Amino acid sequence: MTITRRDLIQFVGGSALGTLFTPAPWRLITDTALWSENWPGIPRPARGEIRAKFTNCSLCNAGCAVRARCVGDRPVSLAGVGGGLCPFGLTAHHLPFHPARPKQSDGKDAIAAVTAAIAGRRPSEHVVVLDSRPGRTASWTYRRAMAALPGGLYVSPPEPPVAIDLRSARTVLSLSAPLLDGWGTPAKVFAARDGFRLIQAEAVESRTAALADVWLPIRPGTEEALAMSIAGELSAAEAARITGLAEHLVASLPQELQKNGPALVIDAGMSPGVVELNRRLGAWGRTVFPRPEAPVPESWRKAAPPTELAAVSDGSVRVLWIDESAPGQYFPWEAIERKLAANALVAVFTSWMGGYARRAPFVLPTAVYPERLDDVPMAIDSAAATFRIAAPLVSPPPGVINPEEFIAALAGVAASDALRQRAAAIHKRGRGTLLTYADGKSVPVRDVKSEDFWKALNAGGRWEDDVAQALEPAARRPFPAPSPQAAKIDDYPLTIITESRLAGLASPSLSQIYQESNVRLAANRVALHPADASSCGVVDGAHAVLESQRGKREVTVTVDASVRPGVVLVAGLAEIGAASAKVVRL
Amino acid sequence: MKALIPFVAGAAIALSAGWAGFPHAIYKSRPQPVDFSHKVHADKAGTKCEDCHAFRGDGTFAGLPALDKCSACHAAAMGTTAEEKNFIDQYVTPGREPQWASYARQPENVYFSHITHVRRGLVKCEDCHGNIGSADHLSREEEDRISGYSRDIWGNDGRPAMTMDGCVDCHRKQKLEHSCLDCHK
Amino acid sequence: MNAKRYGMSIDIDRCNGCGACMVACAVENNIPPAHAGIDERKGLTWIRVYKVDNGEDYPGRRSAFVPMLCQHCGEHTPCAGVCPQQAVDIDPRTGIVGQMPERCLGCRYCMAACPYHARYFNWFDPAWPAGMEQTLNPDVAPRMRGVVEKCNFCHGRWHAAKERAAAAGTDEIRPGDYVPACVEACPTGALRFGDLNDPASDVSQDAKRPESFRLLEKIGTDPKIYYRSRKDWVHEIANAPRPGAARKEADHA
Repeated sequence: MTITRRDLIQFVGGSALGTLFTPAPWRLITDTALWSENWPGIPRPARGEIRAKFTNCSLCNAGCAVRARCVGDRPVSLAGVGGGLCPFGLTAHHLPFHPARPKQSDGKDAIAAVTAAIAGRRPSEHVVVLDSRPGRTASWTYRRAMAALPGGLYVSPPEPPVAIDLRSARTVLSLSAPLLDGWGTPAKVFAARDGFRLIQAEAVESRTAALADVWLPIRPGTEEALAMSIAGELSAAEAARITGLAEHLVASLPQELQKNGPALVIDAGMSPGVVELNRRLGAWGRTVFPRPEAPVPESWRKAAPPTELAAVSDGSVRVLWIDESAPGQYFPWEAIERKLAANALVAVFTSWMGGYARRAPFVLPTAVYPERLDDVPMAIDSAAATFRIAAPLVSPPPGVINPEEFIAALAGVAASDALRQRAAAIHKRGRGTLLTYADGKSVPVRDVKSEDFWKALNAGGRWEDDVAQALEPAARRPFPAPSPQAAKIDDYPLTIITESRLAGLASPSLSQIYQESNVRLAANRVALHPADASSCGVVDGAHAVLESQRGKREVTVTVDASVRPGVVLVAGLAEIGAASAKVVRL
Repeated sequence: MKALIPFVAGAAIALSAGWAGFPHAIYKSRPQPVDFSHKVHADKAGTKCEDCHAFRGDGTFAGLPALDKCSACHAAAMGTTAEEKNFIDQYVTPGREPQWASYARQPENVYFSHITHVRRGLVKCEDCHGNIGSADHLSREEEDRISGYSRDIWGNDGRPAMTMDGCVDCHRKQKLEHSCLDCHK
Repeated sequence: MNAKRYGMSIDIDRCNGCGACMVACAVENNIPPAHAGIDERKGLTWIRVYKVDNGEDYPGRRSAFVPMLCQHCGEHTPCAGVCPQQAVDIDPRTGIVGQMPERCLGCRYCMAACPYHARYFNWFDPAWPAGMEQTLNPDVAPRMRGVVEKCNFCHGRWHAAKERAAAAGTDEIRPGDYVPACVEACPTGALRFGDLNDPASDVSQDAKRPESFRLLEKIGTDPKIYYRSRKDWVHEIANAPRPGAARKEADHA
């Protein structure tokens, strides 16, 4: 029997009809729909038991208490205990995966080079540790190590000499300090906000100025003149001329601070002039206190004292270690470079390729919060001493180096349990209370055993000293002479004001507040007043070049009338160590 | 009539392929790593479903028990079966988690709350999972080659797997159809 | 069980524009970091803080920050009415307007219909740096490209609160157990969340304050987000028919 084409077509037709009455085509449609839901590359979040872990955030000195929501052992979100976490703190669990982390290293070549350099050191040369985050227990380890090493110096940015207590203040005058935008401990600041009247003296209408009770739009860099006038060292007329404020406003400030006290005057770093002004206003012992510190073991007192960078002789540094593993303050590179000897060796401990790592031949990778065991220096708004351990939430990756143990080993100083020794010294003194975050309890240290104290601090908690020790009245000091105003350079007509930003790694999710909304000034953005923008020939969103005596940088422009005419607002770029700049359209 | 033979032949072959052959082709099956007997544990150890498939204090469901649940009793052999010995040698002693094949895995966007169904809805385990609890063996997991989901979600009672019809049926009968977000995330 | 109407009250005088709410929302809801091509018009900011000002020049300039999120419109919900896929679902028991990305086909009609511009489109597949997928929240499903998404009042947390309630033997969730990520993160206390139908809740009391207002009340969407401010200029721009119109009318008056 021959099979004709017609037979074939009939066969196919029969099969097709038959297939429709089987589950096959309908299942294939459903399955394809289900398959299309599992789109390749869309990750499936890991499942597991939800647990809470507690720690202190070590990204800045606020050291906010953190509750981590963990799936199994992995943190998937962070929240403040009693509120207060900033966008950086809320996304810190992303930092271990940041693409800008340095590659693994065992540091062997660095150790070899450093040992050789120390051996070949001339007597007049120094071996320096530059600690960008002073005030930690690790800082004490460096100081002890530098005391043990011949020619050793410990250099760090200056720490504020005082601490403030906002809860006792009724009127606060802030001289360009971002009080409501990250200065101090946010949870404490906002808890105390309704108790004081805030006068913000600042050149731009910053976030703090927008929320303050009064905003005084002073000329940039004239905070000192205002402080001097309130202290009685400068006439109101002269201060008004310098700051650009109305004379009656300037004249009324001293009275307002005295009448509606206790008063508090702050600036970003609590400069000597502001401290003296506070003393004269009667704030000493009420809203301003000497900066406290948690007790340290007696044997540590032989440590090297901090040295200011400016006090180091130029060209005298043979070996420089920079510890920028914890986000802190930056010196402009030129200030550091001039201190280096011709054959200086520079090694940087860092978790971030964007800082000094670009300048140094040896980059030693470190763990990053929330991987590292560290403690948090005193916050500016803690009038009583605190001790807060940032206990690791996850293990660090292989191939990271612990900077303090590295340096201590080179100097022959034992440091691996420095934090524990410090906790023991605090416990021995017997003062203060232990707060534990998991249960919210507060227990006097006297009632806790040493072992339990150490465990509690590592499980999420903090030690706080008893407040109000007897204070000697501070001596009257002469008001510091005003620092000279930088001469205006015609080529660079715009005065730079820096909006400070946390240095170091920031989660890519912060694109929410930078790229995706422009609600905060990104690192590659500058803000200009509309009049300046049009004279520079740029519009909102334009690409331009920010140029100063120090160099150039490509930026994008935001046009904002909150910025004072004549000022360019820049988000914390370390290289722009200059006072003025110009903006040129690209 | 003879002219229709190819047509009928085609239809017949398609029907048999579709009904008999297709289910074999579309699923690939694999056995569970350990031939666990629910019946033995229910009878001899007196365990109920919730003893191993427990609810935590915050209401979340622990799902398949982890190795330490088994090791608590089976640190040493409790019976005489080769299967148990195999389990202790391969999993308990080296501390390796058995990679169970889950019959009930759902798409990522599905949210199913066990505690709501068991404690508030008073749904019995067998209503959704079938009589697994009284079975002496674990059935093989039959996984759809295209969609990747198990055939067995309803305990092998023949309902098509992995569409929401089965869930919606019951919710409709109970008059509990409120919001998509009740079952989705 | 009485029907709830979940809403928020936002104190504009307290918001300092820090963006903690935006970032906490991204962490909770598995929103990926922005691709290189994304700018403020293509972001996935389920809650977004806008800066508004009184229109004066420096130094008369006064600014404020307004967090904008899905207003969970109660009446004639615009996005629900236009969706061809019925991917928008309004829960009668909670008042939450839920977006179902799994039903969405990406026509973006809802984005055009939303008068608050509170809906966002996935222009790209999500991509996290290597390893960062380990930090994803299992209570929220990641979305693929081509679908619209928006605030669901952190329904993952609502699910968890319901489970806690079931463990305690009840259907009623405890108010403290259900707090969206943005409200939990806000360091200034500007954001509050609760049941507008509960006269004892903070939000329902805030809603009744004389300085409280809702955005675009005149178009009749009955939103559940109540803003408040003691500054007159904030009320003026909130009620202005067009941007800048309030000032022009004041000049003419």
